[in-house]
Amino acid sequence: MVLPASGPFLFDTSAESWLARSGDPQARVWMREYLSHHQVQVSAVTLLERVRGYSLLWRRARPERRESIEVARTAYLGGLGRVWPIDSATAVVAGEIMALAPDPPTPPRRSHHLAESRQERLARWRFDGMIAATALLVRMPLVHNNAADFEHIRGAIERAPGRFPKLGPLELVRCTSLL
Amino acid sequence: MRRTTLTLPADALTQAERIARARKVKLSAVISEALSEGLRVYAAAERGEQVLNSYRTAFGGFSEEEVAILDGVILESEAGH
Repeated sequence: MVLPASGPFLFDTSAESWLARSGDPQARVWMREYLSHHQVQVSAVTLLERVRGYSLLWRRARPERRESIEVARTAYLGGLGRVWPIDSATAVVAGEIMALAPDPPTPPRRSHHLAESRQERLARWRFDGMIAATALLVRMPLVHNNAADFEHIRGAIERAPGRFPKLGPLELVRCTSLL
Repeated sequence: MRRTTLTLPADALTQAERIARARKVKLSAVISEALSEGLRVYAAAERGEQVLNSYRTAFGGFSEEEVAILDGVILESEAGH
């Protein structure tokens, strides 16, 4: 278990939604306690992914459902904590990560009759690199729900510490380990 | 600063008086600090509840596939590729 007060943490996109949606009462207790000490901190990349997601769902939705999607989007934006920007330092560190780990370690996601394209998988992988770079720079543990991707990035950083002077290691916390 | 009269639990008042003597400050300073800290914790908890309510609205009512899209995983019909 990770003490909520020991934060703040940077939350990856899927970790944030996992904590928000978890039916586990312990997750609610953990989140309530965390929020009494800290804000939820995310990268601007998470905000980008989220807003793109709401917008895509809105465009695909039947007209009668669009209003509830817009309410959800507005609620998300209204509850935002701290959003870390992609600045020049983040770009430098993310560029190093992308050069060291150019290819995603796992194939595109599939679900029943749906699949992620190779281009989307690569874009998501690069977004993960930007989120990891943000965690390194703001010196916060990264809470994630995607061990394969982020462990691969951590390994790449550890194999080339000279490319990340005065930074690292990347500290990872899987969201299920929080409780 | 404003002056007011408070009714406090006896044990809390005794503790506050002890702290004031130990720190050589006025009793009102100790009570003011404790009250400020209590109000900060209360405000943080209130803000936390607001965020949790926002999250319930932001992520409730979506299927797993839709949440994947909200997480940046864009899934398309394979026929559409």
